[in-house]
Amino acid sequence: MSVPADVRVRPRTARPSGPPGPRPRGSALTRLDVRLSPYLFVSPYFLLFLVFGLFPMGYTLWVALHDWELLGDQRFVGLENFRLVLTDPQFWNAVLNTLGMFVIATVPQLLFALVLANALDRRMRGRLVARLGVLAPMVTSIAAVAIVFGQLFSRDFGFVNWVLGWFGVDRLDWAAGRWSSWLAISAMVDWRWTGYNALIYLAAMQSIPRDLYEAAAIDGASRARRFWTITLPMLRPTIVFTAIVSTIGGFQLFTEPLLFGNGDMAGGSLRQFQTVTMYMFENAFRRFDYGYASAVSWMLFMLILVGSLLNFLWLRRVGGTR
Amino acid sequence: MRRSHRRLASRLAAAVTLALGAAACGGGGSGAGPDGTVTLTVDTFSTFGYEELFKRYEASHPGVRIKHRNVVQLDEYLPRLEQWIAAGSGAGDVVALEEGILSKFLAKPDRFVNLLDHGAASLKDGFLDWKWKQALSQDGRYLVGLGTDIGGLAMCYRTDLFAKAGLPTDREKVGGLWPTWDAYIATGRRYADKVKDSRFVDGSVNLYNTILAQQASQTAGHTFFDPSGRLVAGANPAVRGAWDTTVRIQQNGLSAGLKSFEPSWGSGFKKASFATVACPSWMLGVIKENAGAEASGKWDVAPIPGGAGSRGGSFLAVPRQSRHAAEAAALVRFLTSAESQIVAFRARNNLPSSPRALDDPAVLSFRNGYFNDAPVGEIYAKGAKAIRPLYLGPDNNPVQQRFEDALLALEQSRLSPDAAWRKALADAEREAR
Amino acid sequence: MTLPRTPGRPRRRRSGAVAAVWGAGPLTRITLVATVVLSLFPLYWMFVVATRTNDAVGSVPPPLTPGGELGRNLARLFGNEQARFTLGLANSAVAATTVTVSTLLFATLAGFAFAKLRFRGRGALLLVMLATMMVPVQMGVIPLYMLMAEIGWTGKLQAVIVPFLVTGFGVFMMRQYTTQAVPDELIEAARIDGCSTFRIYWSVVLPVLRPAMAVLGLFTFMQTWNEFIWPLAVLNPDNPTVQYSLNLLNGAYYTDYSLMFTGTLVATLPLLAVFLLFGRQIISGIMDGALKA
Repeated sequence: MSVPADVRVRPRTARPSGPPGPRPRGSALTRLDVRLSPYLFVSPYFLLFLVFGLFPMGYTLWVALHDWELLGDQRFVGLENFRLVLTDPQFWNAVLNTLGMFVIATVPQLLFALVLANALDRRMRGRLVARLGVLAPMVTSIAAVAIVFGQLFSRDFGFVNWVLGWFGVDRLDWAAGRWSSWLAISAMVDWRWTGYNALIYLAAMQSIPRDLYEAAAIDGASRARRFWTITLPMLRPTIVFTAIVSTIGGFQLFTEPLLFGNGDMAGGSLRQFQTVTMYMFENAFRRFDYGYASAVSWMLFMLILVGSLLNFLWLRRVGGTR
Repeated sequence: MRRSHRRLASRLAAAVTLALGAAACGGGGSGAGPDGTVTLTVDTFSTFGYEELFKRYEASHPGVRIKHRNVVQLDEYLPRLEQWIAAGSGAGDVVALEEGILSKFLAKPDRFVNLLDHGAASLKDGFLDWKWKQALSQDGRYLVGLGTDIGGLAMCYRTDLFAKAGLPTDREKVGGLWPTWDAYIATGRRYADKVKDSRFVDGSVNLYNTILAQQASQTAGHTFFDPSGRLVAGANPAVRGAWDTTVRIQQNGLSAGLKSFEPSWGSGFKKASFATVACPSWMLGVIKENAGAEASGKWDVAPIPGGAGSRGGSFLAVPRQSRHAAEAAALVRFLTSAESQIVAFRARNNLPSSPRALDDPAVLSFRNGYFNDAPVGEIYAKGAKAIRPLYLGPDNNPVQQRFEDALLALEQSRLSPDAAWRKALADAEREAR
Repeated sequence: MTLPRTPGRPRRRRSGAVAAVWGAGPLTRITLVATVVLSLFPLYWMFVVATRTNDAVGSVPPPLTPGGELGRNLARLFGNEQARFTLGLANSAVAATTVTVSTLLFATLAGFAFAKLRFRGRGALLLVMLATMMVPVQMGVIPLYMLMAEIGWTGKLQAVIVPFLVTGFGVFMMRQYTTQAVPDELIEAARIDGCSTFRIYWSVVLPVLRPAMAVLGLFTFMQTWNEFIWPLAVLNPDNPTVQYSLNLLNGAYYTDYSLMFTGTLVATLPLLAVFLLFGRQIISGIMDGALKA
């Protein structure tokens, strides 16, 4: 969840939208400027990406093909690491946890963000305060959130258990169970990101022509119906976009569960909240088995690609039946 | 093959550095200052009690400055140290090695300076024989580190809670309650009958690690791995024996179910959630830190059930990557000398590994005010020479963590005892792969 | 969706029908108030614990008002030798500022080039860039760490700066915004006046991009300030960022909640201050389409 990346899968315009027409005929220097400047302007990004993005990625693949121990030697083993990963119950456990937390964190988050955006779109006093208020959690670091939520959800002296005590609920050991730990971690994720997604929806809502609503209202359409028949279809591209960003973020979930378990890479006594990224780190920085960890990280990449694609297709189909 | 890739990587990075003119910022490295002073970086974990010694050393060695870096949690310190040692950069000039990591590093002794090359051979008699040998290569030619402390065992208990349960509070009598672990459990049941709002013992994790170290050193001399490095967790009776004792304590409802070194465990000290905690000598400082000033005088120290043993204990070593190996080795000699071990003991109760220090009146007569003025010097030092060596394998720490996980799952009622045991063994196999 | 739009909707007479469409019902208000309270409560709780002694946590009922211990907790925090909070704050400030300035510069440069300049391979490069944004960040951590160890950057501040000097997200965002916000005529006119490409960028394009730069700037600063995993992997305890300091504090004083919460408060306050200071611009930047694809 560390990148609020605003990713569009397809570029909106593939054609240059530059000014047509005659160019002023200048000196050789000017021609050089026009010809070279664009490359100069984009080169910092591509240079950095080459060194710190592409190279590590390729290198990871190379390492994944080896038995590569930190203090040991490196030996080429082909696809052996991938074979081991695919038959490793701990890996699939981590996949299950990641998917589980992704679903119970993301689905309510996006749904509520829609409701929230709709509410923030109303005319009222203190609207700016409300908009700032829901965005404030985003500036809080995950480390801080984890420390605070860790205390809120602690077994013996936690705030949440104290509140639940009013309703006669026994003290819950949140970290011990699969569902309870997933819920607590999802709460952290949702707390930080719901407001952000709501504002993205809100921005998109504001570009929907207002007359549509007013006309529908005059025709007697209820508020719910207006939301359902106007807002949702118009927001579809934005929803696809946030769903994909959430997929990328959710599949990389790491810091929240790590800190929730007090830095335990295994994610609980039964690995009940270990995510794929945590498993990758456990292999890299606890077992120092870089080859295996690299194979896990490529599997994670594949999962993200598949997840984003499924998301995209599913949402398109849901939208298409309308 | 690998070489060329590394070179490519460095070149690319160097190009970027040049292009961007990255600022050189302060790092962890040590170097000689303009005036010729040498800065030695010392990496430790938890509490070594060296603050006073560093000041003394700087005063007597004007050309040396000491930079101390401490990481409190061993679980955080170890992986970092492994990274530094493997990468060949980042480590201090002097690093603390906990005994659990030693055999892993002994397999690659050349990552460290051979202290025998720096006049350590003559120091052999300054250490308990087994402590000396622990850091020595099989052929006796390579000494990776010099011993600091050992983890002599005792049982800490809260006098106020014992009084509440109608149990004796005098440490002699308390020790008399539990010559064996069976007697300890019987005492626990008496406690549980009377006191309902706290438990008898903190949790399975700390208990198991202590009992295992004790039982193993009294029997096979190794725990999960035999000295050839083979995983023998399922076959070693000490591993199973300690497990069964721990499970019995837990099944009797005596455990507060807290995992040591976690926030809830620390809060447990503050809120008096449990009455006893197995305490190797180095644990006293941890208890004091967690329980805080309010609990001063409430904790006391009694002999441990089941006899002598050692859990934990460390060494100081000089990584090969140090640019001041000679100076660093001299500092290691100073810090591990009998005199320094006495200072560290009086500061933090880290039990000396030097026989001379163990016999020293300054150690033997030392009492700890926080622990109800308990004669901790006598309690810990008396049994120290009876301690027998314990071999820990290269993957000791991860395997131990899997056993802790299984016990924790059992304590959280997520697994039956049998299932937990099977899981511990299976996960141990995975770690040792 | 990429058309330039005037902020705010056109004013019209408040007829009854319109009020019914855009007015906020009681349910809406309750939802909003509840959400804002829930959003702010953990921050408030952080503050409450930071102003009290450690007994506050775990007492029943938990105290909900601030106490008078903030000064003492702050003194303990900054006097702590393990966590090196002052250094952590300074390091994070340097890292976040550097990364923010450089991201803004490089992202607007590249964004401008992609949006308004013609050059061979533009479409292909843009596609490549979009593809790069799908690569998970964590994937690079292991090899990046090996790379840093190789060139001796582990433990040094540049290790948390240089790899992040510009992101695909930033370039893409600026490209989208430049496309919609900078009229072609403006650039054409400047060209005819004989401006160099860089001059056009600097004097014509940059001023128009300000709202989007506010949003990107805050996001970048925030992300660098809050980055947790990478500093933890590549830095050392004696040269931490603020999040690393927080982690050190957490590891050492995990039972001392008042100290830990004071740490989280100090680590969060600078961002909250920036956020409140520029809040209006940021919200209007977002509403203005800075985040729209």
